[in-house]
Amino acid sequence: MLLTLLLIPILTAFAVILRPARQAALIATIGSTAAFAWSMLVWRAFDFGDSAAMQVTASWTWIEPLGLRLSLGVDSIALLLVMLTAALTPLAILGSWTAITQRVREFYLWMLILEAAMLGVFVARDLLVFYIAFEFTLIPMYFLIAVYGSTNRARASIVFFLYTFTGSILTLVGLLYVAWAHWDQYGRWTFDIAALTATAASMSAAQQAWVLLALCCGFAVKVPLFPVHTWLPLAHTEAPTAGSVILAAVLLKLGTYGLYRFAMPMCPAAFHEYAPLIAVLCIVGIIYGALVCWVQRDMKRLIAYSSVSHLGFCVLGLAAINAAGVGGSVMYMINHGLSTGALFLCVGMVYERFHTRSLDELGGLARRMPVWTAFTIFFVLSSVGLPGLNGFVGEFLTFFGAFTSGQPVQGLPTGGPLGPWYGAIAATGMILAAIYLLYFAGHLVFGAYHLPDTSHAGHDDHAHVRLPRDLCMREIAVLAPLALLCFWLGVQPGAILSRIEQPVSEIVTHVNAAADRSMLITAIDESEDR
Amino acid sequence: MISAAGAQLVLLSSLASASDAAAVRLNVPVEWIVFAPLLAALLCGILALRTGDARARYSGAICVAGIGLAFLTSVAIAASVGYGFAHETVFEWIRFDRLRADFAFFLDPLTSIMLLVVTGIGTLVAVYASEYMRGDRGYARFFAFVSLFIVAMTTLVLADNLILMYLGWEGVGLCSYLLIGFYYEKPAAVAAAKKAFIVNRIGDLGFALGICLTYLQFGSVEFAVIFEQVEALRTSGAEIPTAIEAIPFLLMLGAFGKSAQLPLYVWLPDAMEGPTPVSALIHAATMVTAGVYLIARTLPLFLLSEYALPTVAWVGCLTAVFAATIGMAQYDIKRIFAYSTVSQLGYMFMGLGVLSSVGATFHLFTHAFFKAALFLGCGAVMHGFAGQLDLRRLSGLGRVPGWQIVTGSMLVACLALAGFPLTSGFFSKDMILAEAFVTAGPGYRAIGWIGLLTAGLTAYYTFRVFFRVFLGPVHFTAGEEHHGGHGHHFHPHAPGAAINVVLIVLGAGAIFAGWAGVGGGHHGWFGSMVHHSTAAYEAPAGAAHGGFFSNPHQWMMLASSVVGLLGIGVAAYLHLYNRAAAERLRRSILPVAVLAGHKWCVDEGYDLLVRRPLRFIGHVCYSLGDTLIINGLVALGGAVPRLIGAAVRPMQNGRLQGYGLGMAGGLATVIIIVWVML
Repeated sequence: MLLTLLLIPILTAFAVILRPARQAALIATIGSTAAFAWSMLVWRAFDFGDSAAMQVTASWTWIEPLGLRLSLGVDSIALLLVMLTAALTPLAILGSWTAITQRVREFYLWMLILEAAMLGVFVARDLLVFYIAFEFTLIPMYFLIAVYGSTNRARASIVFFLYTFTGSILTLVGLLYVAWAHWDQYGRWTFDIAALTATAASMSAAQQAWVLLALCCGFAVKVPLFPVHTWLPLAHTEAPTAGSVILAAVLLKLGTYGLYRFAMPMCPAAFHEYAPLIAVLCIVGIIYGALVCWVQRDMKRLIAYSSVSHLGFCVLGLAAINAAGVGGSVMYMINHGLSTGALFLCVGMVYERFHTRSLDELGGLARRMPVWTAFTIFFVLSSVGLPGLNGFVGEFLTFFGAFTSGQPVQGLPTGGPLGPWYGAIAATGMILAAIYLLYFAGHLVFGAYHLPDTSHAGHDDHAHVRLPRDLCMREIAVLAPLALLCFWLGVQPGAILSRIEQPVSEIVTHVNAAADRSMLITAIDESEDR
Repeated sequence: MISAAGAQLVLLSSLASASDAAAVRLNVPVEWIVFAPLLAALLCGILALRTGDARARYSGAICVAGIGLAFLTSVAIAASVGYGFAHETVFEWIRFDRLRADFAFFLDPLTSIMLLVVTGIGTLVAVYASEYMRGDRGYARFFAFVSLFIVAMTTLVLADNLILMYLGWEGVGLCSYLLIGFYYEKPAAVAAAKKAFIVNRIGDLGFALGICLTYLQFGSVEFAVIFEQVEALRTSGAEIPTAIEAIPFLLMLGAFGKSAQLPLYVWLPDAMEGPTPVSALIHAATMVTAGVYLIARTLPLFLLSEYALPTVAWVGCLTAVFAATIGMAQYDIKRIFAYSTVSQLGYMFMGLGVLSSVGATFHLFTHAFFKAALFLGCGAVMHGFAGQLDLRRLSGLGRVPGWQIVTGSMLVACLALAGFPLTSGFFSKDMILAEAFVTAGPGYRAIGWIGLLTAGLTAYYTFRVFFRVFLGPVHFTAGEEHHGGHGHHFHPHAPGAAINVVLIVLGAGAIFAGWAGVGGGHHGWFGSMVHHSTAAYEAPAGAAHGGFFSNPHQWMMLASSVVGLLGIGVAAYLHLYNRAAAERLRRSILPVAVLAGHKWCVDEGYDLLVRRPLRFIGHVCYSLGDTLIINGLVALGGAVPRLIGAAVRPMQNGRLQGYGLGMAGGLATVIIIVWVML
């Protein structure tokens, strides 16, 4: 079932190549929508009563002596991210119909390949399948930026590629080390993630620390955590709208998902030990990203930096290692995907009309584009974390998790390495988010209506389809589902929360128990030494 | 000193547990209070987005109907709840791990009072606005936001847990933002809206952290559970952990933000950029009292700390006098009343702080009427005189035909604000001030005296406006919204039926609302209501009503009448009989007057000390941190692919697929190399 899900975009990609260019957009839209429909079937088939277990599994032997298997499966968290990917890709494609006018077939080809690769990451149960898919997301993204980006695209694509590639090579080293340790211990090769996780978790704290460091190299760059975030603004600014949407909505989640799927369970003791350090980086990132946002004049770069700030919250939740924190973090992954993805779409729609990203050149769009304004303000509010919309639940739970982490609730001890100060300082990000997002809205949406000089904006107008001043039905069809989802998840977050409770509590217990064990071992060693 | 043991909490045992069998069964669907305005908001919102839809003109009626239905439901609910309490779950919201925050309502008499104020004033303002906003391009948008505000505000009031209250809290903040920035093409309006939202967020941070800490200490965010445990903690006589004592301080930060107290008051005067009905509804009568409501609602928590309530009292007291001094030096009548709102909210906090929750909520109640009347009166003037609000350019409106109802309601409301005997403001203000003199606490006597002085200042600045604008010789200039050419062609248009009726109703309220707090029992019907809510407590026995005079309330009524009349008298001399004297006086204290006119330069100070440094750090982070690092990396990274490129040049055939294959091949090579190395 999951293999079919991967094959749908790949086959559609072939169809796009084989058919004439003018049909490419339609075929890609239909194909990716079909993938979404299929993912709905997977959702139906999934038994949420046992949501921590890998379900809808499939497995084929690949290279027997190395223990390589093509095995797929999802738990509820992976399934949610699959749904996010499958839902956003068709919307991003639908949003690109008029924006992409040259090398059209290649564009949709790369979009669909990218979708398959991202889905592959989330459904992999085998380490190498995961890693290949993980790395393979780079290639389509590289071309999306390098070919369809704006003026600075060459530099952006190279920085993007080098940054993430270097990081993930180190991740590979860490993962292979775990596989080798398994071979060393059991005398046979396997790349089954569950088996390797068990092996890794039983390693000594020192070994785990090295593995954690290696894993973090790749995942932290992907997230991106401060201070390895600098590729993101560049990539976002230069990428075409659809690229930015996918980059923000899904590709960044590969990092947080990697931390959740590998770093936490494989090196629980080390993760627990170093979580405060990770949390500090997150908090610095939250505040740093927000302050930098505030001085941007380029609207895409502003939203890119807001991702740095937001993803800081997301990882902070993981580092809290309690149910609220990790659960909130998973919520945050979905929410950030929806609202930031939507913001990039909104900004892209403006860019397509006026060919500028500069906040100095645009202003007061509310007057002429009321529908667009309503959507933009809505997604800004979702991003600010307004209660009643989706962003709030994730944000509140993550900083609530950080705040309550390791603190006795009503005198009863709870797990986690952080404490109130982490939560309190991170929460200042809420104020800063309001500052920069309202600064953004105040400049772009409100104020006196003004547009860039037509002299330098309209030079390539002939290449573009004329769009109405306000949004057309196609664009509304792109944004409306996202808005509905944002609202629905804000009012009924239980739709997600109840479904992730089991895996979250399992991993929290796992990490905290391992940390306790490791501390006990250390204590015993010390007493023996004495 | 106030302490948990000193102030006797008369929290009824039945109130402590909402699941108790003693709960009232509601015979009215309480969720209509939220859903009826929500429906109105949706309808108006749709109309607002359909540009050119002629049906947009019905949005005023839709809004009035929605809020009116909420009001009727509130009346029925108040009757149904009576002196009891009720609990109602509408749907499950956030449930994760042990955290439970449902979309559920907690109703007690305090809730009833707030609901009546919010939906009652809301309905009146909606009626008023249906005339006032006519002809505005954003007519439907306005009513969508107003309806949405009522949704958020009633949710805030009805919430049975802190997180849902936070939802309402942020929701009203959003509506306030949207409505202050309603005229979004005016840069001042956009800036004011942004300022309001951000300053409020600073307070909200305290609220949010307070929620976290409450959960840590009590294991729940639901009021019923929290209060039960507070009660248990108090009766056990155990040492109260410091962390618990921190909770009220965090919550009060939120309250000070929303209710515009020192040091977070700066957003409220600027909020006057919004349409005037909004100033009346949100920035005078309802939303800004949310902070007072928050503290009244969570009063049991505040009683756990020795210093919490004195802090509240002192902040309220200082805000009251500080804002009054600024109000005295302003010329824009809307701004004068805005500072007056800040000042009167200060009284409410003073009341909470000196253990007069009845006085505080009663003042909230009466203030809603007379301040709404004042703002709506200002709005009528602004509407009729093309946006003119400068009291130097308006005079003698009372004698202009068609303005009698406005003048009359303004007079009544001004009297109430000035605390003129037997008006509503008189009773409620006295309740607070008298309590300040009798309650034992750090410097509470001084608070009482400062409060009394402020009452005099209030009477002065209130009647400065009234005497200047409504009495004296008739002369006026049109405001900047007048596009008909020169000033002398200008004819003010008197308000119509909707505006006049609303002004009459509110004027009546400004006089008679005070009677709710007089009569049988302790402070009449209103006192009984509050005493049956979670905000109930009694001053410690013995100290009560004996320390100062035999009856502090009577003494205070006398004292404040004198002070109030004195203020009115000074205003009458300076601004009615001898306006030249006012000018001379002003010149003699010019530096002070100018400084007060510039709002004591607090805004400039904040800009210099907070905003600029933060932005500077942002710039440094961006240009030094990021740009340098990026540039460095690109310089470094750019060299690597060029080297690789030189090596594999024959492979580059310009085809994208070729690149892809090459990349995949490269990846495979790297994997194999790493493999072999291991």
